[in-house]
Amino acid sequence: MQISPHTGSQLVDLCSALLLLTCFAIVAQRRLSACVDLFALQSAFLVLTAAVVAFLTGNHHIYIAAALTGVIKVVIIPRVLKKVIERLNVKRELVMNVNVPAGLLICGALVMLAFFITQPIIPLGFLLTRDSLAIALAIVLIGFFTMIARQKAVTQLVGFLVMENGLFLGATAATYGMPLIVELGVFFDVLIAALIAGIYTNRLQDAFDNVDTNHLTVLKE
Amino acid sequence: MIIEVLVLLISPLLAGGLSLLIHRSSLLHAINLTSMSLLVGAEIMITRTVLKDGPFTALGQLVYLDALSVFILFIIGAVGLACSFYMRSYMDDQVARGVIAPTRLNLFFFLFHMFLLAMVIATVANSVGVQWVAIEATTLATTFLIAFWRRRESLEAGWKYLILCSVGISLALFGVVLTYYSSLHVLGDVSEALNVTQLLPVADQLNPHVLKLAFIFILVGYGTKVGLVPMHSWLPEAYTEAPAPVAAMLAGVLEIVAVYAILRMKMIVDHAVSPAFTGGLLALLGFASFVTAAFFILIQHNYKRLFAYSSIEHMGIAMIGFGVGGPLGAFGGLFHLLNHAFAKSMAFFAAGNIHRRFHTVEIGQVQGLAIAQPWTAMALMIAGLALSALPPFASFVSEVQIVTALAAQGIPGQWLSNSGGMVTVAFSNRFTSLSLTGLFLLCSVLAFSGLLYRITNMVWGTPPEGIVRGEAWTLGHLPIIVLAAALVGFGFFLPQPIRQLLEEATRIILVH
Amino acid sequence: MSPIIQSLLLVTAQVIVLLTVSPFLVGLIRKVKARFQCRQGASVFQPYADIAKLFRKQPVISTTTSWIFPATPYILFASTLSAGLLVPTFISQTPLNFSGNIIALVYLLALGTFFLILAGLDAGSAFGGMGSSREAIVASLTEPAMILSIFAIALTAGSTNLSTIVHKTALLEGIATDPSPHLMALAALFIVALAETGRVPVDNPATHLELTMIHEAMVLEYSGRYLALIEWAAGLKLAVFLSLIANVFAPWGIATTLAPTAMGIGLLVYAVKIAGLAVLIGVLECMFAKLRLFRVTDLLGVAFILALLGLLFFYILRS
Repeated sequence: MQISPHTGSQLVDLCSALLLLTCFAIVAQRRLSACVDLFALQSAFLVLTAAVVAFLTGNHHIYIAAALTGVIKVVIIPRVLKKVIERLNVKRELVMNVNVPAGLLICGALVMLAFFITQPIIPLGFLLTRDSLAIALAIVLIGFFTMIARQKAVTQLVGFLVMENGLFLGATAATYGMPLIVELGVFFDVLIAALIAGIYTNRLQDAFDNVDTNHLTVLKE
Repeated sequence: MIIEVLVLLISPLLAGGLSLLIHRSSLLHAINLTSMSLLVGAEIMITRTVLKDGPFTALGQLVYLDALSVFILFIIGAVGLACSFYMRSYMDDQVARGVIAPTRLNLFFFLFHMFLLAMVIATVANSVGVQWVAIEATTLATTFLIAFWRRRESLEAGWKYLILCSVGISLALFGVVLTYYSSLHVLGDVSEALNVTQLLPVADQLNPHVLKLAFIFILVGYGTKVGLVPMHSWLPEAYTEAPAPVAAMLAGVLEIVAVYAILRMKMIVDHAVSPAFTGGLLALLGFASFVTAAFFILIQHNYKRLFAYSSIEHMGIAMIGFGVGGPLGAFGGLFHLLNHAFAKSMAFFAAGNIHRRFHTVEIGQVQGLAIAQPWTAMALMIAGLALSALPPFASFVSEVQIVTALAAQGIPGQWLSNSGGMVTVAFSNRFTSLSLTGLFLLCSVLAFSGLLYRITNMVWGTPPEGIVRGEAWTLGHLPIIVLAAALVGFGFFLPQPIRQLLEEATRIILVH
Repeated sequence: MSPIIQSLLLVTAQVIVLLTVSPFLVGLIRKVKARFQCRQGASVFQPYADIAKLFRKQPVISTTTSWIFPATPYILFASTLSAGLLVPTFISQTPLNFSGNIIALVYLLALGTFFLILAGLDAGSAFGGMGSSREAIVASLTEPAMILSIFAIALTAGSTNLSTIVHKTALLEGIATDPSPHLMALAALFIVALAETGRVPVDNPATHLELTMIHEAMVLEYSGRYLALIEWAAGLKLAVFLSLIANVFAPWGIATTLAPTAMGIGLLVYAVKIAGLAVLIGVLECMFAKLRLFRVTDLLGVAFILALLGLLFFYILRS
């Protein structure tokens, strides 16, 4: 099957736009388990994007990365997080550092910022994926913002994982994947980081009877 | 050379694996000391080769060793060995007092070895991508080490460390991706396109826009690990809560490995953009850290926090050195890294001893250290004087080098502007360089007075009731003596290999 | 046929289509909901009978009201109907395309809402005032999202005239521009449509519970033919939004010429499309609960951001 470069680039744009949309959904979502589901959905879109890029470019090693993303970020990590949430017995986040509409507006501004920053370097990219770099940076920034805006340990972790998704999208889109050894290392790190953070939330729960990171104020000046 | 490199990588790996299987504390320590000695031995061999024959790659381009990475390896080995000796008495004492369950001791050693392994990989890796993976691995290995006491406070410190450093490091990964993005156009889509050995020769053909952006991300990312202001908020807490040998490794080695990662990137970007861009950014962050830390040192009443802020201060000073650049600045920066590693690990060894005796981290509750723990008091005094950069110590020499470079050259100023052109801010005129020098000296005096005032309060006086007086000699005091001797000795005379190593490394940083 | 007669005929045809189709849509949504709740439900044509019945009843008007109260149903009905004439239904030419565009559409709808809010206050009853203030909140939040999403669409088509937009998209027989901005604008407009027509996540048209109702609270004082007009206008508004969504984002099958066969196919396709959308709304209403009033801002914030992203993406993907 032959796909014209123009259609191909539209397809990649569409997939990355879907990734960005799930980011906004996570920002607007208060229920913890729904946040985790949305993260899994986002990772699924990421797998889709990577697979499309791999198919259109014929770079087979991207398939490996896509498959690993599928296993780790769509299946394993959401499961671990769901377990943690079940144990913690917290369903939703009632108080946020930034309320939802303001958060959404800030994220909109972050998207603009990302496009502004990447504008000078976008023309260097491959024709197929050149717009995805900006979207990737936007996702990284939104993930970062989510970590600041939320108080629950689990949602902070989801923010971190969203950042990682943005980074992976950036690597896939801008450079058709990093060298395989680096990519494997990154996956390993992310997986371990998520597991460690999961263990931590359990211990925090035991120590503080709460995983509101707002309570982590014992150590102060 | 391949054998030495393999020893470097395999000995911590093997030691970590073995530690998991063993529960006897004496055996654990024996493994630890053996692997550390092997590591140091391999390092010495590698250093000799590099100094004689120049840089080389090994293991199919995966490993790259030049004078700069060997210098960092030297710090890892020296501080690591000192830590291993110190841990001999410290960990046994912790187990005896029931702070750490005997069954968890092997976990501690496992994580310690993994931490060491990750740092070695980060130093010897040829690819900046692999280096990123290793630096993130250091975060993962140390987060449980910091929270090893499992108290509420240590869990809090560990969580903050994990989250902040992981986020920072993620930003650095974006920088790595951007580097790859720029190198693809020159080197093609090959897995070697992230290797330093491949990037450096073609660095001037890389796209400057992309590299500038990449450098900013990498500086912010690894800067979080270094603890540069404003990404430093995890650092005082982690250093306070971590067991003393871990704090010594964090302050003495991990920060320096992160600085090394920034320097590697700086070398590449300098070819494509100009040293003024990277130097300006480094000096800016350096000054921010230095000034902030100097003021925070004044208000500390917790001695571990005091040392933590002093770490931020000294990393700031080293950054100013690298930022100002020139042979003097770069040499001073590297030398300062070495001095800081020695002085700070010594300070944390002393702090660990004090905490064991006084069971408090409050400066106000520690008095009469000279009577209660004479050896520790001496170590604390020497570390304090060295951290204040007073004359007989090597840190005085390195700070004088940095401040001289600053006064002579000022901060380079070339900043990013969006239009694609460069806007040069006149930072390098006579007036600004002199006023910055003045600021530097003022902050040094602030930090010096804050640090020494607190330390003298702890050392002199009479110990409170119920504190045992006198201190028996243990193996843990050996590294303190050796480090103190080195700190004084390097001030007067740098041994030939170390001097040569520093000079070579300076040349590598400055080469254009 | 002279152009004037042609356009008069078009106006008449469109008015007839809109007026007949709007009660049907309301009935269809109710039927779908009833079926989902395992009820038989009233006939799909029940709203026609309701309107006819209300027209025969004698209206009661409170003595405390001013001229605004009796005038509002007519204004609302007229403004909504003329808004409907700006939207292509079964044919891509709109009857009034010479006199207004997409921006006029927004403000014609806003005019009706404005008078309805005044009328709710006019009677001086507690519920009316409450409904009006809520409606004002919702309307002020939907407006920016609606304008932005419409701008995003207008930019991709290069015109603010709905007829041109639809015509272009239909004739290209495919997604005219990059799909991403289009899809985001579509999602935004769909949320806006739900909010503007008082459907479930924002308002529940089936409730008269004082704590939750918005639209029903405003029209509580109306009876007889006034109520009939208001209900019919509400149905019309729904039809206008559904036609807008169906034809702007999926205009395929719409008649692009005045040939009778094309128009016949167009009419059929149009009926299928908006019926499909109505069923979708019915399903959604069964799946989701109504949001708390203070959470409505979250939803409309999402709509606004979606529309903004659509705009952004248009510029970015173009570069």
